[in-house]
Parts: sequence; C-alpha cells; structure tokens
Amino acid sequence: MRQPSEADIGEITSLGTIEDKLLQSKILVVDDMALMRQMIGLVLSKANFTNVVYASDGDEALETIKSEQPDIVVLDLNMPRMNGYDVCRALRASEETARLPVLVQSASEAPEERVEVFEAGATDFVSKPINQQELIARVRMHLENKLLIQDLQGFERHMRRELVLARDMQLSLLPSEDDQATFSEQYGFSMEAVYRASFELGGDLWGAWRVDDTRFGVFVLDMTGHGVGSALNTFRAHATMARIRDERADPAAFLSKLNEQLQPVMALGQFCTMFYGVIDTVTDSITYAGAGAPRPIISNGKTMRTLDSSGMPVGISDNPGYENLQDQLVPGESLFCYSDVLLEATLEDGSFLGEDGLIGLVGDAAGASKPGKLVSSVLDLFFERHPGELEDDLTAVGIFRKPKTKGAGA
Amino acid sequence: MEYRVENTGGRAVVTFSGDITFSENVAFRQMLKELSEGSLTEGVFELSSVSMVDSAGLGMFLIAKEQADKAGWKLSVSGAQGHVASMLKLTKLSNLLS
Repeated sequence: MRQPSEADIGEITSLGTIEDKLLQSKILVVDDMALMRQMIGLVLSKANFTNVVYASDGDEALETIKSEQPDIVVLDLNMPRMNGYDVCRALRASEETARLPVLVQSASEAPEERVEVFEAGATDFVSKPINQQELIARVRMHLENKLLIQDLQGFERHMRRELVLARDMQLSLLPSEDDQATFSEQYGFSMEAVYRASFELGGDLWGAWRVDDTRFGVFVLDMTGHGVGSALNTFRAHATMARIRDERADPAAFLSKLNEQLQPVMALGQFCTMFYGVIDTVTDSITYAGAGAPRPIISNGKTMRTLDSSGMPVGISDNPGYENLQDQLVPGESLFCYSDVLLEATLEDGSFLGEDGLIGLVGDAAGASKPGKLVSSVLDLFFERHPGELEDDLTAVGIFRKPKTKGAGA
Repeated sequence: MEYRVENTGGRAVVTFSGDITFSENVAFRQMLKELSEGSLTEGVFELSSVSMVDSAGLGMFLIAKEQADKAGWKLSVSGAQGHVASMLKLTKLSNLLS
C-alpha cells in the first residue's frame, strides 16, 4: 500500500511561508520600450521581488512564458509583431496558461477598451503611466490569490489521496470475496454482502469467522455517526475483536468482552450497535446476542421472522447485561442482517421504511429472487424507492443455507 | 429538529419535534447548554412529536444523561412512539432514561 511521500506533505504550505513564496515568484514584464521594462523592473525590485524576466514583444512573450513559466505577466498592449490582446487570447486558449494571471498596462480610461481587454482574457489592469504602489499592490494581490489557490488545491489533492488510502485500508477490514467463497464452501451456504460508505470512510463493519468445523460466527456493527471519526472507531473495534478469541462461540460473552475493552476508551455519546450470531450447521440453529442493532430477518422465501437483537449498545455501560438467545436457521432459510440506514433513510415520498416496511420489502424480494440473491433483490427494491446517495453508511449481509443434497451429510 | 424549553420551578420540559439525527448535533448541544444555565432538579424530553431518532440522536441523549448526572438532576424521556419508541427499546436506553 502506498505511503504518503514527502512531496505530498510538502504541497501543504503554511501561511507563514506565503510571503517568501510571493517574493520568489517569477514575474514576466512585457513591453516594447526598454525604458518601461527597466522602470517596472526597478519598481518590482524595490518591493523585494527578485525573480523578474523580460520580453520585448508578444511573440517573445509567448516563447518566454513557455520556457520560463512565470507566475504572473505584466503586459503592455501596443507592441509590434503581436499585440497584448493577441497574447491574452493565445494564453487563454492553452490549457497550461489558461489561469496564468495577466496584468495589462493600459493608458486608456475608455470603458470600451477595458471591456475588450477583459474579453481577450486579461486578469486585471494596471494604469499607465505606472503608479508604483498600485503596480505592487496588484501584483501582490494576484500572486497571493494564485498561491492560496495552489495551496488549497494541493491540500485537497493531499486529503483526497489520504482518504483513498484510508478507504482501501477500511475495505481490507471486511471479509474479501475469496474469504466469503472459501467460507461458504466449507459450511454449505452462500454469502452475499454489500458495504457502501456514505462518505469515503464509513462507520459500519461486518465480519465472519470460523468457530470450529461445524460452526461459524457472523457480526454486523454500526458506529454512531459516520465519516472519519466513526471510521477510526471501526478500526478500534476491529483490532479489539481480533484479540477476543476465547469467547467466539458464546455471543453474549463475546459482546461483554468487547464492551469491557471499548467502553472505557469510547468518547461520551459514541457507541456501536451490534449483532453477533453463531450458526451451527449440525443443529441447524443460531445462537446470538444483540447490542441494539436492527433486528435481523430470517426468511424461507414465504414466511419471515425477526431475531431479537435488543441490548445496550457496546461502549455505553459497564454492565450491559448481554444475553444469548437461540433460533433455527435451517437449510433453505436466509439470514438478513443490515444497518439502520435501510430503516431510517428518507424515501422519495418523504417517508421512511421502518422495520415493518423493510420486512415487507424483504418479503417481496424473497418471493421474487433466486435463493442466495436476497440482499441484491432487497437493495434493488430499496433503491427504487430511494434514488441517489444515502446519507448514512449501508451494510447488508445475507447468509443463505443451501438445502442439503442427498448424501452430503451435515 | 425543533425544540421548545419550558422551565417551571427547576423542572424543564423540552418538547422536540421533527427528526433527531446526526445533523442536529449542533442544535442539540445548544439546547444542552441552555439547560445547563437553568438550575434544574428535573428534565423531561417530550418526544411524542418526534418521528425518527438515529443512533447519533441516541448518543445525544446519552450526553444529556451524563450532563444530568453530573449536575445532579434527573433526566427522563416521555411520549416516545413508533420508530423512536422501538429504538429506545431496541437499545435498552429506555431503562437508562426512565
């Protein structure tokens, strides 16, 4: 995975260095009169600008811009060969120089000329004859703007890269498709999972793991809020769960242990809702404990029931009192676990589904979909009623127990 | 989310309406600040006009509860129905806030 380089970090400059950068900026002075070039150069050097280059007509200006890549141009209008208007147009027509600040020297007060100069692509005017203070003020202003915009763009690029990197790291916490396939093979089910963060980073997490040869565990978890803060808490939860090995067969004990570790370190008002179930492929049962996650739905394609996942969310109380419950999960049935966005997202008609609405949707989807395709069918139906982006993270995990084939045993 | 605070003799009733979600964080904290400025013995969050509360909204209730415990007043919620009632029940926060 790529590490941020020195160059990435170097793109971000503090405001304190803006003045240094400003005075080192390269300024191109274009004028056909040597005396004017000298005078402007003198004014700039008196204001501590050290990096000034010159051109004596439009053609030379364009060549110099290409070779020297100045930060700003002070441009005369009336010059032989190519005039100032044409220089402006040529600069704006090229992608590399489309945003280069160009200050045009103009002796005319006529509004028509000013309009024409702006239409040609000038950034601003400086009056002619040159007023020293005005020239310096305008050069500084446009260079400052340019530097600040560059800084912001650099910062944005940097942040974007960081977020992409972080998102990849977060996705790597989830079971990969290969893991899911291996797992499904071993325990005779098919697994379907959708994870979608509302921002680059999300506050949802899900996972599945082996308990023993005939049992496996599956959990879904939803941190309060969404975005970077919640995402950091999902890393915390993931790392903590990785260390809890002895309690994996016992969901209530597992949640208690996780709560014991997280409760002291989670900030006030932060917690996660969670469901953890252990599916036994010999007894066709599921033992589970809830910490306030939305109630999972079990469907056989015709009838549906919910699992009681009520419980104090992880991270709130030092005595949450989790309890194990048991239900059946027989071959031919699907377990559907999901995050609360499916219940709470505002639909096109202004309402939200709520649990009854979602159960209805799962019923419609289960009747219409192929076994093992419940999650995608539910989400298809959901997004028909909620077009566009969701305002919270979405996780939906489906586990379909394949009907036993003759002679396959447990 | 909108709210109205009525403080009669140290008993403040905060009547909420609309949704209490992640995006109401700032308004909710403002409300808590208002509450902290009145000397309370009791606070009641009246939720009968609230149609939806998400997990961040529940988190804000917990922050309110902590503030109440620290300042020595009693916080309870009343009137929750529909989705709000099921969320309080699902997360067992109704036990903490009754």
